[in-house]
Amino acid sequence: MNGEDLIEQVLREGERQADEVEVFYYRGESIATEIKKGILGTAEESEAWSMAIRTVNDGRIGFSSTGDPDRWKECLDAALASGRLATPQQWGGFPKPAELAGTASSADRDLVVAVEDAAGMVEDLLAGAAEHPVEVVGGGASLARAYMMVANSTGTLYGMDRTAASVSLETIREQSTGYEFDASPFRAELDPRSVGEQAAFLAARSLGGRDIETGRYDIVLSPIAAASIIGQVLLPALSGRNVKAGRSSLADKVGEQVLDESLSVYDDPFAPGLGSTAFDAEGVPTRRLVFIEQGVLREFAYDLKTGYRYGEASTGSAVRSGGEPPGIGFHNLFLDGPRTNEPGDERAVWIHDVVGAHTANPFSGDFSVEISNPFWIEGGDLTEPIRTAMFAGNVFEMLAEIGGLGKDARRVGRLTIPSIRLNNQQIIGK
Amino acid sequence: MADVRYYDVRCVRGEITHVDIDNGVIESAGTSFFDKAVIRVLGPKGWGFLTRDHVDIDSKREVDALVAAAARLAAVTADEIDLADAPRGVLPVPPLREDPRDIDLEEKTRLLAGIEAAARIEGVANTRARYTEGIDAVRYLDSNGNEYSYEAVRSGFSVLAIASRNGVMQMGSERDHITTGFNLRGKQDLGRKAGEVAVSLLDAKIPKGGARRAILDPELAGVFTHEAVGHASEGDLVREGASVLGGKIGEAIGCPGLAIVDDPTLHEFGFMPVDAEGVAVERTEIIRDGILRSYIHNRETLAAVGNGIAGHARAEHGAPPIVRMSNTFIENGDAGYDEILAECRDGILLIGSRGGQVDPGRGVFQFNAEYGYLIEGGETTDMVRDVSLSGEILSTLHNIALIGNDRKMSPGYCGKGGQSVPVSDGAPHLLLENATIGGRGE
Repeated sequence: MNGEDLIEQVLREGERQADEVEVFYYRGESIATEIKKGILGTAEESEAWSMAIRTVNDGRIGFSSTGDPDRWKECLDAALASGRLATPQQWGGFPKPAELAGTASSADRDLVVAVEDAAGMVEDLLAGAAEHPVEVVGGGASLARAYMMVANSTGTLYGMDRTAASVSLETIREQSTGYEFDASPFRAELDPRSVGEQAAFLAARSLGGRDIETGRYDIVLSPIAAASIIGQVLLPALSGRNVKAGRSSLADKVGEQVLDESLSVYDDPFAPGLGSTAFDAEGVPTRRLVFIEQGVLREFAYDLKTGYRYGEASTGSAVRSGGEPPGIGFHNLFLDGPRTNEPGDERAVWIHDVVGAHTANPFSGDFSVEISNPFWIEGGDLTEPIRTAMFAGNVFEMLAEIGGLGKDARRVGRLTIPSIRLNNQQIIGK
Repeated sequence: MADVRYYDVRCVRGEITHVDIDNGVIESAGTSFFDKAVIRVLGPKGWGFLTRDHVDIDSKREVDALVAAAARLAAVTADEIDLADAPRGVLPVPPLREDPRDIDLEEKTRLLAGIEAAARIEGVANTRARYTEGIDAVRYLDSNGNEYSYEAVRSGFSVLAIASRNGVMQMGSERDHITTGFNLRGKQDLGRKAGEVAVSLLDAKIPKGGARRAILDPELAGVFTHEAVGHASEGDLVREGASVLGGKIGEAIGCPGLAIVDDPTLHEFGFMPVDAEGVAVERTEIIRDGILRSYIHNRETLAAVGNGIAGHARAEHGAPPIVRMSNTFIENGDAGYDEILAECRDGILLIGSRGGQVDPGRGVFQFNAEYGYLIEGGETTDMVRDVSLSGEILSTLHNIALIGNDRKMSPGYCGKGGQSVPVSDGAPHLLLENATIGGRGE
């Protein structure tokens, strides 16, 4: 039985036992080639199939999922059983069919999930890395295509294709390491050769770094370092669920200046990107959401469940992966602002990446992390490597006044972000 | 299938039960089902892997077709892999004190709600508790005629409390996961502890960063063992030239008396009765008396690197096995806690873990404590928060000045290569000289 027929059957059977039913269906295929010791080491092909069912009865939401089409009845029963235990809540129904306002841009018609293509990308990565004297220790290329559908008992049924191409490379020279990556829905947007070259450059150029004294320095976070630290702290604080549960320090600050007035944070689900979509994971039409506009907090992200419970409207922000229940997330998030001062023009400590961003305190925003591939930067050039150090601070305080955004915005996961200059920050030397 | 030197098939079918309670509201409570298979084929040179949902391992026709498809993938690889011989055998799975399947979801939810409610003490603004239960039915077969099957049952919970006052938010969290039965009874104390830590952190100080003496509690010292030594001793990283411990067998990399072990046979959270490529599991002494003795290996990395034993291959459902830690720990020394505190005199005591990360190639690691206390004149004084520790693998282990005699193991999940597997790690209290403490205080 194919996906659509099965969905129809689950909805029909579910409706007999619950007020409302929703099915989220996913099938995907992918190819991944991995590099071991500078050559193509392994090739992997995956096929995934999953179906997640939600039932609602008198405001009690039940959930289950399965990877086995033959177990759909058991899965429906488990969803109903789970609903009987859930605390009942305000519920206004799954979304009715609607005209979708925008068009998604997350599928590449020309992307073929073929091992030969992935192997070709690996060759390009390695050719790029060969431009610097380093050893390649790992990395790889992958190509993926998925189809997902969300359908509910009010007659809503949307489906979409998604594709993803990604590459990464890890290099080493003595005890100096380099890592670079890129991912896009569109194969032609990736340049594996330059990703390989950059990974090799980092390891080669970071060799022989000098120590740095503990003290206050002007720093520049690369888009990767900025995304790691900000992703751990700022993004959870924008989730309506955390706001209402008392887990967001931004909770009562709508209308207030919370970041530097040059910074805006918005989700644009119609921009090309890995999360681009015209409907969210619950079938709610998506829209452009401006969370922070020129430093002023404007709104939070909601899904149906949190929205209904607290009298807020869903912002079309539900996301999910495979057989997981939906949660609040972002589709294509941007941190953006006017470019005035180029961050690396005046002398500063440039930080490529950080180790341990996930240990930041997501509520207070305090963090102290080890920095990777730090350099002195001046006149826009990386002039001299720094050996190793820690960087400590508070995400909200450091973003309250920034020293400039770079013209080098790039996608890091679902966040597109430029490099950010931050003056007078705490660096701990060794 | 002339181009197939070896194949194996590993299927994991099972159920995951979750209960999620947020501020007294039962957000969700239910069971989901999975059925994942990984087929590995060793071709003329390297590996081809297939991952699938729902494979019938008893159907020779289906297995043959999947092996043929994986062989086509293997044909594009260039890395020349050999597999070391390794002993076979499956340990008995520990008996369940109480089988979680015998307890209905309603009772699980009620018990979890009790733990969550215990965290809601005065000053706490939000509490959240999650129960996770996994039942894995594992089946394995390979082209050498080996076959096994076993069942793994895991049960545990985490509880989080957030205290809030005048715009300051602090958290306390506790968790406990086991492989020996149902694990929600009599655990309210952990809920209360999460609440108490969160509230007391509201008044904690922010420490000053810099080098000083540090005492690590058994939980944080366990994370230290895992991040600073465990990952760098993984045979795949050593083979790929991505570990600073490569080529260091026989060298003193730590203080005399230091012993670090990975032991998958212990009935802790990282227990496995057999590894993910059908090899019998055994204890590996990575470091003995400060000297690097062994790496941890699978069959492939043992053949390529040597020094150690296979039996350390592990896999998340539906992912190819890679070299992983299981139960990793520093063995007890002979220092009492009071002696460690006195010897430290002035420094910092670090307690609990908020996680860590390592760059094994560069040999640099970082991890974060949940909280700590300043130590002045051999006594603990002010509480501190948001304190982390970083260091270099090759020098830090020499800086262990005292090893305690009170080892404890803590359960958790470890991520590597996009896969998460259950592990435990532990140590006794440790005194570290010249530790790099990260904190934003001045």
